[in-house]
Amino acid sequence: MNQPSQKRILMSKTGLDGHWRGPTLVARALRDAGFEVIMIGMANTDEIVRAAVDEDVDLVGLNIGGHIDVALRAVRAVNEARPGLPVFAGGTVPPHAKRQLEELGVEVYPPGSQLAEIVDAAYRLTGATAPA
Amino acid sequence: MTREHNLLQDAIAGKRAALARLLSNVENDSAFAMRLAQDLAPHAGRAHIIGITGPPGAGKSTLINQLLPRALGTHERAAVLAVDPSSPFSRGALLGDRVRMQGPSTGSNVFIRSMASRGDQGGIARATATAVQLFDACDWPVIIIETLGIGQVELDIMNLADTVVVALNPGWGDTFQANKAGLTEAGDLFVINKADRPGADSTRRELLESLSLLARRPLPTIVETVATDGSGVDELWGAICSRFMQLQADGDLATLRQARRMRLANKSIRAELDARAAASLASSAGQRLTERVAAGTMSSEETTRVLLQLLQGDQASAP
Amino acid sequence: MQAKTPPEVIRASSGFELKPFYTAADIPASHRERIDIAPGEAPYQRGFHPGGYRSKPWRIFQLSGFGKPEDENERIKFLLRNGETGFIMEHDRNTADHCYNVDHPDVVARREDVGLTGAVMQSVRDIAICMDGLPVDSSFAHPGGAVVQHAPFALAGYWTVARRRGFQLDKIAGTGQSDFNLTYLGCVTKQQIPTDAGLRFNADIIEFCGQHLPYWVPVSIAGYNAADTGLNPAQELGTLFANAVEYLDEMKRRGTVDMQMAAKGCAGVSFRASIHIFEEAAKMRAARVMWSELLRSRYDITDPKAANLRVHCVTAGSKMTYQQPLNNIVRGTLMALAAAMGGVQSLGVSGYDEALSIPSEHAHQMSLRVQQILQEETNFCAVTDPLGGSYYVETLTAQLMEKAWEFFDEIEKAGGYLACLDSGWLHARAAENQHDEFMAMETGEANIVGVTCATEDESPYEVDGFVGTDDAFDVATERLHETLRTRHESAAGTALKNLEAVCRGSDNIMPAMLDALDADVTLGEIGDVYRDVFGDWNTPIQT
Ligand SMILES: Nc1nc2c(ncn2[C@@H]2O[C@H](COP(=O)(O)OP(=O)(O)OP(=O)(O)O)[C@@H](O)[C@H]2O)c(=O)[nH]1
Ligand SMILES: [Mg+2]
Repeated sequence: MNQPSQKRILMSKTGLDGHWRGPTLVARALRDAGFEVIMIGMANTDEIVRAAVDEDVDLVGLNIGGHIDVALRAVRAVNEARPGLPVFAGGTVPPHAKRQLEELGVEVYPPGSQLAEIVDAAYRLTGATAPA
Repeated sequence: MTREHNLLQDAIAGKRAALARLLSNVENDSAFAMRLAQDLAPHAGRAHIIGITGPPGAGKSTLINQLLPRALGTHERAAVLAVDPSSPFSRGALLGDRVRMQGPSTGSNVFIRSMASRGDQGGIARATATAVQLFDACDWPVIIIETLGIGQVELDIMNLADTVVVALNPGWGDTFQANKAGLTEAGDLFVINKADRPGADSTRRELLESLSLLARRPLPTIVETVATDGSGVDELWGAICSRFMQLQADGDLATLRQARRMRLANKSIRAELDARAAASLASSAGQRLTERVAAGTMSSEETTRVLLQLLQGDQASAP
Repeated sequence: MQAKTPPEVIRASSGFELKPFYTAADIPASHRERIDIAPGEAPYQRGFHPGGYRSKPWRIFQLSGFGKPEDENERIKFLLRNGETGFIMEHDRNTADHCYNVDHPDVVARREDVGLTGAVMQSVRDIAICMDGLPVDSSFAHPGGAVVQHAPFALAGYWTVARRRGFQLDKIAGTGQSDFNLTYLGCVTKQQIPTDAGLRFNADIIEFCGQHLPYWVPVSIAGYNAADTGLNPAQELGTLFANAVEYLDEMKRRGTVDMQMAAKGCAGVSFRASIHIFEEAAKMRAARVMWSELLRSRYDITDPKAANLRVHCVTAGSKMTYQQPLNNIVRGTLMALAAAMGGVQSLGVSGYDEALSIPSEHAHQMSLRVQQILQEETNFCAVTDPLGGSYYVETLTAQLMEKAWEFFDEIEKAGGYLACLDSGWLHARAAENQHDEFMAMETGEANIVGVTCATEDESPYEVDGFVGTDDAFDVATERLHETLRTRHESAAGTALKNLEAVCRGSDNIMPAMLDALDADVTLGEIGDVYRDVFGDWNTPIQT
């Protein structure tokens, strides 16, 4: 019996910020929801793009802990290297930054978002089916 | 198949995205993986395949991070396949080996691929073997496989790698009693990593003791390393390379690979037979068979004979 | 809001069950005798000083900083003008926490990020700009160095500038931080010295201050960072004292300063004031008792100067919501009240825009106003320990102590505080709590106003997160080059070599660090020495 193929999500932090509480919670929730979560820690644009390509992920998750331009640069580079690859983001994302990300097609889950919402988004964005 | 064929051509021509997608296909579609493995078989055999195995947290990823720049001194490029366990409950996985691979390991001459074990029990994933063939066919001259941190006796890495490096830590003797035998048999080279911690000497002694019980001569090299600062890693890389060159020079590499291929084939045949037998036994005819075995009205020899006929599709002889 | 059926069991954040009401009989007998002991008397549960806030209101002490050193200087002056009674100099996280100069590739790759959370200060020249005109002699300063490996640089920089401006080190007052909970538990940066080297730095600082800066709090353990990573109040207490014991045991081993002096050096700590206000107030009271007991039983120290714990408190940043940020002013007020009821000496209130950015000028001002209203309008400062004798709060205080000592013992059993950081044991405890806390929110067991309920927002304007200046990276790059070009190169080289030799040996690092700062040695050069000599910490967590 062939089970539906496993979806893969890349999780990275764009800033040099070591707070791990949020990203860890999200990564574990995604694992428990059946995703293969590839973690690369604090990575720069090149590293994020390389991992997104080499790991052939179905979704990129960015934890944003610094200036929005740093994150935008990473998103643009991912869009260019893997057109159509969905990206979602969380972290410290004030409204203006949220709008800029959304303009690039990124779904943003600011603090206060529920893990269930984030997991649902991962199912939807990767086209995976949630277990019954 | 043409789309996949194009992908393969692109991958061989050096397109990373194509190689990456093929690796996913190999993971997700076992029938495809089988076809591809057949297609690739004639092209394989150029790369030096190195396996790093050892208990969880032994420092396998950190060691690879140190080995990569050294490998890049000898070879133009290097690939890594890092296997981590899948959760048996959710089938999800946290693949964290990449976090330890930083700096030079993130350059374009390195291809790191994280792989979830997806239920395979042998320390790697079912797709790992074909993934290695694929890297080999795409001209990656050195391929390093990180097994998941188990240390079980069943070590599939032996059927895959030219060189198996077993990474242990000081204090290994106290904690891994049960798995000692399997690990010592598997290793071509041994690393006592975290040698900055106390107990490296006694671990070396214990390891030598275990190794001397095996009939292998000469005894495998043991290297002490501190993966976090790189001490001993030059020596380790040297040992890996010189052993490999020796094998090549003596013509033993071919023999070794033949034996390995036979083991791999054997394992695969047995797995397939097991699966078919299980399926057969689950059929209604099979169940009748089991009932009679349980009741003691059919001998196990007779059961085997009937089951084999069942497998051949001979319904007539079904009980 | 929907009416909820009351849950059968309600628990404190520290895990124990709360009763619907309390009577005298609930207070454990062992605790009863403490109730009538006056503030200022051992074991100090009722307060630091008999006069309480009458003799000295708590210090209004806000984290502040961004951009270029002159931007930060301006913000600090703004805060002082608006009623802040001490000042904190934040350093840019990208450069400071990692001890990188701005030309480090990891920083260049995030250039826009530079200066977002604090000013970029790579040499004593930058620190001098940030300190320009600040009341070094009459105010209480925290010159930065929250992260352990950065602390010697930040302190030496501040002291060097102070000395150049004619102040004597043995007269100035302030506090260092070099907090292990931040560095190795809450905010695990990409590259930093291992914990044993960190312990040595902190011991060096304690030793140096013990010998030369009598009014300086050398290091300040921040329970805050343990709590905001997920540890509950009892665990926060247990962790803090397990940390203190590491410092004190090291000082005892060294034997270079009087243990009483060393204990005094560790007696300025910080806690988080979170939103369960009675438990939080009780926590501050429990902390004082625990400290005096610890010093008495383990080190035989009873001198009030050491045994009297001084507490700085910061309201819980993680409780501030992204949604309806103005609600956070109310949260900040309540948490500030909890801290004040617990009798803290110093307080920072998180900005209402905390979940969006570093504080805007207005958010900063509101953080001051919250405290000023409490101090000036409510008559709060008239009476010390207003909760003393409350059946509930006294019981909580006793229960917290008990739970906290249990956690302390657990840490000791697991090899001690440092070992628990190295192994990830504490991280695992924090992660468990994070998970539970999140699940409570997801299941609707715990409500957060504006987030999980009451989500309609009528706010007349959008709070959009503060973005500082956009020239911090460029200016810092210029200044770095300028410093490297115009400094006395051989003096700098000698000072750096000497610093390296000291790092490799066992002498106190601070004199060499002061010389290095004085010779315009830069942060990144010092970081390179650290990386060379000490290597990197093996982080036990992967994110
Ligand atoms: N003290 C010390 N720590 C090391 C050394 N090598 C690795 N470590 C640390 O050990 C921990 C585990 O290292 P990894 O490289 O992730 O180990 P691993 O074997 O790949 O782990 P899994 O993939 O989870 O089985 C990390 O914190 C490393 O920094 C060493 O030589 N000395
Ligand atoms: Mg690993």
